[in-house]
Amino acid sequence: MEIPHIVTPRKDTGLFNAKIAIWLFLASEVMLFGGFFSAYVFLRIGADYPWPERTLPVLPGLINTFILIASSVTVVFAWASLKMREWRRFQIFMGTTVACAVIFMCFKGLEYSVKFHHQAARLIDYSVVEGHLGYETKGGHGEGHEGEPDYVKDADGNKIEDNHYKIAASLLTFDVLRAYKPWLENMVEDAGRAGSAITLSEDIDFNKEGDEPDESKVFKRGTELSYDLITKIRKAHLANRNQNAAWRTDFLSEAWDQKWAEVKANDGLGEGAFAADYPKGLELGPDERKLAYVRWKAGKRASMATDVDLNKVMLEIGGKKVHYADIALPEQGTAAFTIDKPFTVRFSSYDVISKFDPNATSINLRDGTVVGGTYEDSSIAFHYVDGIDFQHLAMKAEEKGQDPVIAIENSWLIKENPEVAMLWEKHQKVIGQLEEELATHGREPTHKDRYRMGWQEIAYYMQTNLDDVQIVKGKYAAPKVGMTLVEQFKGPDYTTRMADKAKPQFPAIHIPREMVMLDSKFKPKWNTYYAIYFTITGLHGLHVIGGAIVLGYYLFFGRKMYLSNPEWLANRVEVGGLFWHFVDLIWIFAFPIFYLM
Amino acid sequence: MADTPEAIKKSQKLYLMIGLCLFIGTIVTVAVATVPWLDIGKHGFDTADMILGLCIASFKVGLVMYFFMHLNHEKAWVYGVFVLSLVMAFFLAFLVFFAKGDPIHYDNFNTGGVIVPGCLKLIGL
Repeated sequence: MEIPHIVTPRKDTGLFNAKIAIWLFLASEVMLFGGFFSAYVFLRIGADYPWPERTLPVLPGLINTFILIASSVTVVFAWASLKMREWRRFQIFMGTTVACAVIFMCFKGLEYSVKFHHQAARLIDYSVVEGHLGYETKGGHGEGHEGEPDYVKDADGNKIEDNHYKIAASLLTFDVLRAYKPWLENMVEDAGRAGSAITLSEDIDFNKEGDEPDESKVFKRGTELSYDLITKIRKAHLANRNQNAAWRTDFLSEAWDQKWAEVKANDGLGEGAFAADYPKGLELGPDERKLAYVRWKAGKRASMATDVDLNKVMLEIGGKKVHYADIALPEQGTAAFTIDKPFTVRFSSYDVISKFDPNATSINLRDGTVVGGTYEDSSIAFHYVDGIDFQHLAMKAEEKGQDPVIAIENSWLIKENPEVAMLWEKHQKVIGQLEEELATHGREPTHKDRYRMGWQEIAYYMQTNLDDVQIVKGKYAAPKVGMTLVEQFKGPDYTTRMADKAKPQFPAIHIPREMVMLDSKFKPKWNTYYAIYFTITGLHGLHVIGGAIVLGYYLFFGRKMYLSNPEWLANRVEVGGLFWHFVDLIWIFAFPIFYLM
Repeated sequence: MADTPEAIKKSQKLYLMIGLCLFIGTIVTVAVATVPWLDIGKHGFDTADMILGLCIASFKVGLVMYFFMHLNHEKAWVYGVFVLSLVMAFFLAFLVFFAKGDPIHYDNFNTGGVIVPGCLKLIGL
């Protein structure tokens, strides 16, 4: 049977089938993205921190906007070429469209990559430090700048970033059900390199006392830690736990039956309190009546569960009558290991669930492992600070009715870091000049002008003496160093800017862990701005990929259809093009919202 | 819609002009946000910049939909579908106001707490 209206439009709608479908689909997409943009608005107006305004580099976003607009033009031209039956021209325009999609995604990937490698830390006084971490060296923090440093490496041979919790471990207790294999294996390798032995601290015996001993269920004190050992302990534990669960079910069932018989004998169900309170219970079947009784008891702040005791019940198992306690098998869900010579284990702040306490003697990890030991120096070492932001601190000070400048000058960053204090002094001078200049136009500096120093300002301040610090007339902004084209995409080029050891353009700061409230890369964890930024642009990126695949299919596999029914192919390309235009118009909104507002 | 080869050939100039308008619109959007002497309203980002930026974006979106997506040749019901979806999206967005009905969990996120002052702040009142 031939399907009507795949090429020619219906008279009533004026559209062929696929076009009706794509319009309805795009309407649903409007609601999908509408929901996310609404989420953006609500997150922004409900944010309890200064929303990052104009925080993303504009140039990559601008180029991507141009690319998508250009691709919208070329996809229309590709469709027009098909309508004019010019296959070669169609190929050129459609090829350009797909190439634009690939370039767009490359720029987006570069932008994401920069964010994923950029570190930030919010201190307990709400000041924020941004920058890049170094790698930990065996000589300690900050030793990585000179010569060929000796880096600390993980089990895979990768250098370790200077932002980890470091713990001198002397005891490890694993949750055998949840222990995370890569961490455990890393610890074993680290211990091996440190010349430490991690061994089981006491015997674990899953045999029931008095039963025929099974050697495979015995784990001897002194056995070396391995994931294989943990797996065996887990299996033995689970086997016993499952058997116990089955027995408990049998015993509880028996206990309930006995209790029910007792209830029936004492209460009668037809004359007692239950029946008086709940006469309808008499109309129920036996099972429903039991349930109704339990609910009635619960209403009286009691339950059958509290009335039954499985230990009072005896069942015939293995030819003799026993209590549950007589046959229950030993269970042990944890395994403790001692370390003969403490060694350093490293975990990211995300993986440690205990709040940092320098006096702590045990630290809980996300997989249930408890590390016994003490914290070593776990400072976050920013080797290059490229952003200092006091906006949040100032906001908090204003909420308390305090002078933000005084609050900033009392902050840890200013008091304990002479370089930052020097930067702040220069910035204050600049803000004074900016205030004067803007006042002539009846304007004043923004919060961001006053309380944030970006990487270009920091580099300028680092290179300029206090007396020479001067705003550029007519720029209405703090003075900055210029940036190269590559820096507009990837941020500061540290190799070049730190080459002159006598005049580095970025300070280094070591922040004691107890001063840190939150540390993160510029990922969704950092704040709700990045959460919604990655959500919307990520979803948009998926649409770009999907659209490019469909258009690429027409480009590479459309020739056969073009020869047999060119109008049908033109219709398909028109439908694909409509989706592509939609992808473009979402970006037309996303670009100013995320990059310019 | 231009459907004959001749009509489509004629339309190509229009498509190029629309593309050019979109490029110019983008440059204007960036310029008003980054060039100091084009900064309207208060110094830096403010409500005026937001309204201007969104107006330019809406104009660009209108051009894409009207010409590139050929809405100028579609029947009224297609517009109806889009208007309906926009209205739905708008109302769905404000469903969060119903959170006010639960004073325990969302006490801080209701019309008296954050939303209304936030909206007023956003539009500069």
